[in-house]
Amino acid sequence: MRADRYHHLVVTLLILLLALPIVATLLYSLTQRWEASILPEGFTLAWYWQLWQDARFLTAFGHSLLVCVGTLLLSTVIIIPAAFVVFYRFPWLDRWMNIIILLPFAMPPVVASVGLLQVFAGGPLPLVGTPWILVGCYFTIALPFMYRALANSLLALNVRDLMDAAYLLGASTPRAFLSVILPNLRKGLMASLFLSFSFLLGEFVFANLLVGSRYETLQVYLYNMHNASGHFTSAVVMSYFLFTLVLTWFATRLGRQD
Amino acid sequence: MYYVEISGLSKRYGTTTVFEDIQLGLKKGEFVTLLGPSGCGKSTLLRCLAGLTEADQGQIRVDGQDITHLAPQKRGIGMVFQHYALFPNMTVAENIAFGLKMLKCPAEEMARRVAEVIRQVELSNKEHHYPHELSGGQRQRVALARALVVEPRILLLDEPLSALDARIRRSLREEIRDIQSRLGLTTVFVTHDQEEALTLSDRIFVMNQGRIVQEGSAETIYTQPATEFVARFMGSYNLLAPTEAKQLLGLDLKGHLAIRPESIQLSEPGRSYPAHFAPVAAIIRQHQLLGNIIRYHVEAQGTTLLIDHLNRSADDLLPTGTQIAVLIDRQQMREVH
Repeated sequence: MRADRYHHLVVTLLILLLALPIVATLLYSLTQRWEASILPEGFTLAWYWQLWQDARFLTAFGHSLLVCVGTLLLSTVIIIPAAFVVFYRFPWLDRWMNIIILLPFAMPPVVASVGLLQVFAGGPLPLVGTPWILVGCYFTIALPFMYRALANSLLALNVRDLMDAAYLLGASTPRAFLSVILPNLRKGLMASLFLSFSFLLGEFVFANLLVGSRYETLQVYLYNMHNASGHFTSAVVMSYFLFTLVLTWFATRLGRQD
Repeated sequence: MYYVEISGLSKRYGTTTVFEDIQLGLKKGEFVTLLGPSGCGKSTLLRCLAGLTEADQGQIRVDGQDITHLAPQKRGIGMVFQHYALFPNMTVAENIAFGLKMLKCPAEEMARRVAEVIRQVELSNKEHHYPHELSGGQRQRVALARALVVEPRILLLDEPLSALDARIRRSLREEIRDIQSRLGLTTVFVTHDQEEALTLSDRIFVMNQGRIVQEGSAETIYTQPATEFVARFMGSYNLLAPTEAKQLLGLDLKGHLAIRPESIQLSEPGRSYPAHFAPVAAIIRQHQLLGNIIRYHVEAQGTTLLIDHLNRSADDLLPTGTQIAVLIDRQQMREVH
């Protein structure tokens, strides 16, 4: 019993510790003033009101959504067939894929940005300052999450036998893939899409260095607003946090459904 | 003229030969087994027949038609896999209907045929279950139903029973044979289990290292093994080296002498035996109870022999150390190389 109580205590403390900055930010975003006193002076929703009426914020949020959704669409279209081909035709390639997908992480974003700036600032593909460079760049960030999740689903599936069974029952390769393989990847795909989405929505370094204010995303907006009231920026952070929370909850629910 | 004819079929992966120069013929409605140890090429041969693996050389003909390079979709061949290969996102009924859907079968006929085959494999009430909700035996029945519903010309069974436990394996084995003979379906069964092969097959092809080493009825394969490998693979044959055969029975042989454990008898006092039974003095070293059979390990002039004796009564059991004469039936012995 004593050990039980101890375990509960540790878990409670951990939850409190993790929740503290979020609760503090939430409180700060809901107060009128909280500078010279221990307790806040009056609660208000004014900061949220102001924020959600700010056209610049809404544009930045829209930009972030577009870049993230664009990236994930591109990733889905490229990575699903790639993972399928690896597991169905060339299983030995999986070893190499595991190395390749980690390569973007081997290079710090700042260093990668310098290289990308040099290559894409001019020349045949002047992408710097446009959302396209972010889509390409974010693809490499989403790649490991998505490839690993899909690889795990494919590993659990016994792809070769399923495809063979479908062939013998008269299905063509695309038909077999669409009706037999793809539906079974849904869970892994959804989980990795939402994980990547949350991660990409919070990305700052690439967004700031490669595009900056020319196509302002949520994180860049937050950075540009750092001189504004702390209550206001807290409202930005909480809005972003709640959005991600809802998405994660949604992803978990989708994952649970059979 | 065979219904299915495989001639000169070979398959290599790089420098490794999977099988070579396979000649094989199947009559219509026949149940044929490819029997051999793992890695002997039997599953790859089955895959070549299904069109899932391309052979390097040779020809496969079904009903006079050359199907060597035909796509698997067009061969009219059904297959049951070792690990079921059921589509996890589909219910039992949807799994079974998949092949009919590909054939663009009208909805009414599809429902009728699915219901009929579900009844045949005794899975009524399970139509709306998903594969993960079924036991191993039930899954394999679904796989069988899925292969049968499209009325294939040939049914291929790739070790369909090896993932199941012993009791289910026996009952499903009988069911498969029953359905096969009722439908008169030409069937190729792949297994490494000689008991399965012996109980199910009209004919057995024993394979080793990519070659067919013997072909024949279950009776022939069991009682007249052509090679030392077949004798060893088919069960607990006594295989005597030439020196042992010389010492024990005075025979001059080049190959091994194969004697089935049930063709050696323990002499009973007062009983006379025909002249083709050779008496040999032996001592009982141990015994194993195999249900209706007692298997004695006896030693005769330094050679260990296995003897299968019908377990009539517990009183008959001979204790370890008993001196006894054993009688080897010369008519049942076979020299193998």
